[in-house]
Amino acid sequence: MNPEHAPIIQMKNIEKHFGSVIALAGVSLDVFPGECHCLLGDNGAGKSTFIKTMSGVHQPTKGEILFEGHPMHFADPRDAISAGIATVHQHLAMIPLMSVSRNFFMGNEPVKKVGPLNFFDHDYANQVTMDEMSKMGINLRGPDQAVGTLSGGERQTVAIARAVHFGAKVLILDEPTSALGVRQTANVLATVAKVRKQGIAVVFITHNVRHAMAVGDRFTVLNRGQTLGTAQRGQITPEELQDLMAGGQELVALEGSLGGTV
Amino acid sequence: MSNAPIPSVVDERIKTRSRFREAMIRPELGGIVGTIAVFTFFLLFAFDSGMFNSQGIMNWSIVSAQFMIIAVGACLLMIAGEFDLSVGSMIGFAGMLIAIFSVTMGWPVWMAILVTFAICIAIGGLNGFIVVRTGLPSFIVTLAFLFILRGFAIFLPQQIERKTIIGGIKDVAEGDWLAAVFGGKILGGMFNWLGDAGLIATFERGTRKGQPVVDGIPMLIIWAIILVILGHVLLTKTRFGNWIFAAGGDAEAARNSGVPVNKVKVSMFMFTAFCACVFATCQVMEFGSAGSDRGLLKEFEAIIAVVIGGALLTGGYGSVLGAALGALIFGVVQQGLFFAGVESSLFRVFLGVILLFAVILNTYIRRIITGER
Amino acid sequence: MTSLMKKLVLASAVAAAPLMAATSAYADGEKYILVSHAPDSDSWWNTIKNGIALAGEQMGVDVEYRNPPTGDLADMARIIEQAAASGPNGIITTLADYDVLSGPIKAAVDSGVDVIIMNTGTPDQAREVGALMYVGQPEYDAGLAAGVRAKGDGVGSFLCVNHYIVQPSSQERCQGFADGLGIELGDQMIDAGQDPAEIKNRVLAYLSANPDTDAVLTLGPTSADPTLLALEENGMAGDIYFGTFDLGGEIVKGIKSGVIQWGIDQQPFLQAYLPVVVMTNYHRYGVLPGNNINSGPGFVTADGLTKIEEYAGEYR
Repeated sequence: MNPEHAPIIQMKNIEKHFGSVIALAGVSLDVFPGECHCLLGDNGAGKSTFIKTMSGVHQPTKGEILFEGHPMHFADPRDAISAGIATVHQHLAMIPLMSVSRNFFMGNEPVKKVGPLNFFDHDYANQVTMDEMSKMGINLRGPDQAVGTLSGGERQTVAIARAVHFGAKVLILDEPTSALGVRQTANVLATVAKVRKQGIAVVFITHNVRHAMAVGDRFTVLNRGQTLGTAQRGQITPEELQDLMAGGQELVALEGSLGGTV
Repeated sequence: MSNAPIPSVVDERIKTRSRFREAMIRPELGGIVGTIAVFTFFLLFAFDSGMFNSQGIMNWSIVSAQFMIIAVGACLLMIAGEFDLSVGSMIGFAGMLIAIFSVTMGWPVWMAILVTFAICIAIGGLNGFIVVRTGLPSFIVTLAFLFILRGFAIFLPQQIERKTIIGGIKDVAEGDWLAAVFGGKILGGMFNWLGDAGLIATFERGTRKGQPVVDGIPMLIIWAIILVILGHVLLTKTRFGNWIFAAGGDAEAARNSGVPVNKVKVSMFMFTAFCACVFATCQVMEFGSAGSDRGLLKEFEAIIAVVIGGALLTGGYGSVLGAALGALIFGVVQQGLFFAGVESSLFRVFLGVILLFAVILNTYIRRIITGER
Repeated sequence: MTSLMKKLVLASAVAAAPLMAATSAYADGEKYILVSHAPDSDSWWNTIKNGIALAGEQMGVDVEYRNPPTGDLADMARIIEQAAASGPNGIITTLADYDVLSGPIKAAVDSGVDVIIMNTGTPDQAREVGALMYVGQPEYDAGLAAGVRAKGDGVGSFLCVNHYIVQPSSQERCQGFADGLGIELGDQMIDAGQDPAEIKNRVLAYLSANPDTDAVLTLGPTSADPTLLALEENGMAGDIYFGTFDLGGEIVKGIKSGVIQWGIDQQPFLQAYLPVVVMTNYHRYGVLPGNNINSGPGFVTADGLTKIEEYAGEYR
């Protein structure tokens, strides 16, 4: 982490109420360019509400969002996307029936003018897709290979590469590894590391402590709508993170009975 | 965790594929194989039957062209993830409107045609609007319009003219510029020359003695070719085409990526209605009359042609060229079985067999391409 | 690729097998094609199929029956064009809509195929398109004759159960009947549809809304059979005056039991059988009858039903 950088996003005392339910009760978080900020928490801890607030799906009930130092009010996800905040969802990211290159440029198709008519510039799209994919370490048979033939990890990687290509400054990854095998998880984590090196801020949501420890620079744990603090890499052990997520001592007892395998 | 670029290792599980196989495996493959099979078959069994003389070729070409016109619309709509079951009724309804406007109300034919197109496209838009607004399956919404439009196609002429067929359009369309665009024929000179040269048969008696039996290419066929090319270019070469694939492949994912899914779907409904209207106008201008029962079951014929052509019923995958080949197969088989001397009531049996084989083959091809399991 | 090819070859072999069997049954001699406008669902045309088949057998010629599966007349025009392209000796066709069909028929005549118009159409139209003759029952005249007869029996109002509303000749029958009675057709014709249950329910609904209706006119077995059931259900059977076009098994029973006063027999068998016989003799020996042939109308009443009963639905 470079202290000279100003944070790209500051979330200050964010509260979000759904009717009488308090989903977030004053959560603060800073994200710096080029860091991988892991957001951990058990199911129902408020992780998704928090990132949806960050990506413009929800508006906070109370609190302030600063983007590059200026207060921001995202009316919808489109605002957040155009500001440079891209979200890669675990699902709904890719269309399996379509080719990688068509998926890559979906909604942002490059256009080539022929006389008065606009055509999809397939040559450009294919070239860029192949380049970006090989940068990420994925070898395609060709740009017209369908996304359905890729593994789950490769699909996540395509989605990440797409967000980066279209100028994301902050990349929110919503549980990208939860449905993947060991090898594919490693691939996605390697992609995250590459993206971070390019100076992009990564917000990595997971409930797997080991995945977080592998790539994270800082770790913020959410429990019941509140932060239990942000820790630097090296200041905290996986066991401590696990305990924070579970919200206290009961897991220690449980872990003991399971022989330390959780 | 190394940050060095991962060396490009070949995944040992991906079988290397020959270039021939690469070139062969495409959405249209089913249609291409089917077309070759069907023509081989009829060349073997029906060569001398008149199927491949000028009249015979014109006959199955026209029937196939009719299927193509509605298949292009149905294909793009299906790829965008929706169905239109009101196509057949729309054909009857559009023809009846043209007849009522031009014959009963005495409008100039070009105006009758333009107004009819406007009404039909508006109804297509309404179909689409209801589908995207309510989220109901298009199957149900357009089924409702199947009945509504057919009902009007019977009710209107009955109320106005007390009959269900309105004729006399040929007389009022005489010399009309727009009517000729739909009902005319081109290249008459070439066919006259072919007739004079003895290359194609000529009439043996009657007022047209000595003239060739085929006196030009009907505009119907020209429209089919134009629509197929237009649809193919739109789907594969434009950004809108990418949106069509995306809207049908996964509407939610497409919306997340900024594709205006609703706009795409509504405009595809309008395009389907436009195709149905082209079909109806060509038919009315050729035959000179509009009937309440025109276009019965044509929606299913369009869908069958599209499915033979390799499109996926649930959307997101397909090819306009494939659909055109599907229409060609359908038309050639329908007309060809008769030339081959097959009992006509067996037609449906063959249609069913072909449909089944086409779908099995297409599914096999699609799985190779998209990695579905 | 090889496995794909294997599958394709196998698939085409299986698909082709029944076709080859079908094509082998081919006879020598003249070839005649009968084209009708009837959809597949219309059972009345079975008699026509049997009629040409019998004529083909007796005369030693090849006959074929073709129709548009949905009854779409534009499709029928294509079938006539196609029939002409296949180069038969003659085409026997209905003339259900002059606008749509006259072009293809004229083209067939001009390209050297002889044509006889059967069933629907008029003698004038047949002459117009260059056909050899017309064999059938002029629809309006038949309706008119029936109307005059019913008027004599004291009928003043009626229900016309039209199961084929888009076919103009169906309406001509109803119109002729109304003119024969000397009344306006008005709303007395209902669009019954083709489904038996629907036809029955619509007849029931009309008759309960208009209980003073004197007579029911049905246009064929498709509408007559369900109408019989409807009349049994509401107790009007035998009481209301019931006339019908065409014959069929149930209609004959109805005439016998007195529920149906008369059936107008246009003798479809003759419409199919005679053109084949006429054309064959014309092509073999050059002989041709000088006039059109009226196969109907003939009123069939309870007297002398034996033959009709025996062959109803097959040749009658």
